[in-house]
Amino acid sequence: MNARRRHGPKSSQEGVYTGPSQTQSQLVQPLDTPQAIPVPHAPLVDTSNMSCRDRTSEFESVCKSLQGRQNGAQDIKPVHNAVRQRSDFTLMAKRIGRDLSNTFAKLEKLTILAKRKSLFDDKAVEIDELTYIVKQDINSLNKQIAQLQELVRSRNGQNNRHLQTHSNTIVVSLQSKLASMSSDFKSVLEVRTENLKQQKSRQEQFSQSPTNYLPADNSNKADISIDMDLRSSQQMQLLNEKESYIQDRANTMQNIESTIVELGSIFQQLAHMVKEQEETVQRIDANVEDTQLNVDLAHTEILKYFQSVSNNRWLLIKIFLILIIFFFIFVVFLA
Amino acid sequence: MAASIREKQTAALKRMLNFNAPPLKNTAAEPVWKVLIYDRFGQDIISPLLSVKELRDMGITLHLLLHSDRDPIPDVPAIYFVMPTEENIDRICQDLRNQLYESYYLNFISAISRSKLEDIASAALAANAVNLVTKVFDQYLNFITLEDDMFVLCNQNKEQISYHAINKPDIMDTEMEGIMDTIVDGLFCYFVTLGAVPIIRCPRGNAAEMVAVKLDKKLRENLRDARNSLFTGDTMGAGQFSFQRPLFVLADRNLDLATPLHHTWTYQALIHDVLDLYLNRVSLEESPGSEASPAGARPKKKSKKSYDLTAADKFWQKHKGSPFPEVAESVQEELDTYRAQEDEVKRLKSIMGLEGEDDGAISMLSDNTAKLTSAVSSLPELLEKKRLIDLHTNVATAVLDHIKSRKLDVYFEYEEKLMSKSTMDKSLLDIISDPDAGTPEDKMRLFLIYYITSQQPPSEGDLEQYKKALIDAGCDLSPLNYIKQWKAFTKMAAAPANYGNSGVKPMGLFSRVMNTGSQFVMEGVKNLVLKQHNLPVTRILDNLMDMKSNPETDDYRYFDPKMLRGSESSIPRNKNPFQEAIVFVVGGGNYIEYQNLVDYAKAKQGKRVMYGCSELFSATQFMKQLSQLGQK
Repeated sequence: MNARRRHGPKSSQEGVYTGPSQTQSQLVQPLDTPQAIPVPHAPLVDTSNMSCRDRTSEFESVCKSLQGRQNGAQDIKPVHNAVRQRSDFTLMAKRIGRDLSNTFAKLEKLTILAKRKSLFDDKAVEIDELTYIVKQDINSLNKQIAQLQELVRSRNGQNNRHLQTHSNTIVVSLQSKLASMSSDFKSVLEVRTENLKQQKSRQEQFSQSPTNYLPADNSNKADISIDMDLRSSQQMQLLNEKESYIQDRANTMQNIESTIVELGSIFQQLAHMVKEQEETVQRIDANVEDTQLNVDLAHTEILKYFQSVSNNRWLLIKIFLILIIFFFIFVVFLA
Repeated sequence: MAASIREKQTAALKRMLNFNAPPLKNTAAEPVWKVLIYDRFGQDIISPLLSVKELRDMGITLHLLLHSDRDPIPDVPAIYFVMPTEENIDRICQDLRNQLYESYYLNFISAISRSKLEDIASAALAANAVNLVTKVFDQYLNFITLEDDMFVLCNQNKEQISYHAINKPDIMDTEMEGIMDTIVDGLFCYFVTLGAVPIIRCPRGNAAEMVAVKLDKKLRENLRDARNSLFTGDTMGAGQFSFQRPLFVLADRNLDLATPLHHTWTYQALIHDVLDLYLNRVSLEESPGSEASPAGARPKKKSKKSYDLTAADKFWQKHKGSPFPEVAESVQEELDTYRAQEDEVKRLKSIMGLEGEDDGAISMLSDNTAKLTSAVSSLPELLEKKRLIDLHTNVATAVLDHIKSRKLDVYFEYEEKLMSKSTMDKSLLDIISDPDAGTPEDKMRLFLIYYITSQQPPSEGDLEQYKKALIDAGCDLSPLNYIKQWKAFTKMAAAPANYGNSGVKPMGLFSRVMNTGSQFVMEGVKNLVLKQHNLPVTRILDNLMDMKSNPETDDYRYFDPKMLRGSESSIPRNKNPFQEAIVFVVGGGNYIEYQNLVDYAKAKQGKRVMYGCSELFSATQFMKQLSQLGQK
């Protein structure tokens, strides 16, 4: 599939691309297109499908050759270390992002589990556990994002405006991701409730027949007491089991309902936060044009005023008159 | 080419924004935040394709112009998307020196030359930032896609490759070379992104031929270099299922000068002609309020509202080629459907309120919540629909105002008749001397079309009469000089273009629209129905695609970059009719031709046609260029 991978020499001396400047360019085959994110599954990714050309290795070779030339002339300055001082904002944001992606993975697992509709292989315990874990995660993420927002607000006056916008945008995008994850969680819970209801109705169908015996037994109590007892004890056992099972189900459903209500409140909070900073759908040249328009208008206004002031002979005459009057006052009265 | 060029370009941009790794569909991936820096070219390319929201989804927190004041943001990577010009390179070097960002991903819109690469390298060395420059890529995206099947070469410096620049009499060879190189660069990038090597056909003896020769040479060189070719089988992409190569027809603007001046009747072309449509964005001027401003205060500024006409707007996609009365009716229909849906939601709300008080049963609750959820989830859709309806109502009203004040329907009808050489009921002089039928520019356009399409030039006496009438109306006569020259020139070369048979049937003065009492009262505006006809460009395309033999197109040159050696012949080697075609007009194009091609492609099953031009101008701008040429 990847017919473009070559095993020959990396650089070629043929100048293929002749642009207007007619320079000979060293075009290098991208042997191993380095990928920023490691990809586990092959079919989704086709690195040879790109309609662009990688000039990074050419750039590096140029740098090396230039460095070789300059090495004798200059002393080597300390190179920037790979370990850079990152602000705690970035660290926190990265951590939140990582937690968010982990929770997403858990949510996906939960989705798969909840969609199963088999009657007997119901992994209720696991589902409940996962639900609990995901709920905790969402809560903690919510708190973390609120903290992050506080941090951003506290630094409001100190930073330059681009950094400010950058931080705000990060907070907003984290919030929106959390909101979408919460809504997914809610729909998963709803699916689960539906499945539980269906299972309950199917169970009721199956267990309809045993319950019919009970009124009959009670009426003939006096007769075949021992047999009755045996059978009734069996029925009682079955009944107890069924009851506890039903009780379990009821508990789970109640849990789910309370979780949904809690989620609803989190949702509201998130929506409020997101709304505060939501950006309307716009295009990137909107602000630039607005600014330019405003600057132009302001410029014309100033020019007009300047023109009116500079052409205003009466103004000049008035100013001179006032000056002369003051001069006379000072000279005549104070001389 | 199953994917349209817009999808391919968007995919290429998204890939670039993902640090040039193909984007993963996995939403569980950790978000990486970056900053996007572009110059004006990059801005023009990105803005019709990706909205700010989509940029945010890809993790771009800030998008800034290259030549603005930028503050350092020390711990984010920065993606640059710029043209490799001198000033841009200088600014990038300055950024490297000022250590604005954590790492730099440089993407150049078209290929960067070796010397400029060395400049960046030396600046990076000087700033000790070599390991910060993580990637350097040539993106080959030097064209702007406006629609699924329409592209324009440039917007920023279009004076350099305008019709005026190509056709001015005192042009120098070096200038011409420069213009040709720019156009060929853009076309080359287009074919790289498309992933297909076309078969090129062009007429002889004009700018289109020069472009074709250069493009053929460039494609051929790139294909020859087997190791570095951009067109190997893999680049064709998984989406390309057809094994046939597309046909690339190069046409020159001089082939048909009447179409850019023509008054039009379809929605998109009208908006471009009458309002200000720029990169799929319409700007409307809203007149100031009727209150008189107090004496001495500054005059009130007219507020400008701008709307985006995007691909997601279904109404726009459906109706951009429809004649205007149809558009007006459809807007009315949409408004009615929207009102019905709104009433439905209101009714649901009232029912909910009543039931909630009477029945507290849990079983009812689930039904109610389901209904409420569905109503709530449909609310954003309703709001969006309302916004679109408002948009189109405003735009259509503005267009209608212009039509009514300038009587554009009269012009349109008359010009259609002129172009199809059918009999006319009103004489040209009447329309020109009519004081309230349109601006002087409209009259000039009408007269120029008359002059271009008439078989013999009008006699001297007639000409003088027309000129006098035009000058009385306040027109500028310099385009006429140029058109005279052009006509003389083309007469020598070939027969004047035939515009085909068309007919315009007026459908009565009062359409159904007025009877329903809608907002669009089109009284006095004729409801004209367009009959299908083919403009010269479409006819040429038809001949070439179906390999028909026609005196016009028989001596078009034939280029096939995949052949081992080029030939001077014009005999096509490929005898099958083509399924896909790309038409490119050197010297400028407009929406009327685009619409005509779209209609042609719809009429023929299974054929796909794409339209491109070196610049997109409205009739006003074209007239300006003609008058500049006429004054020389």
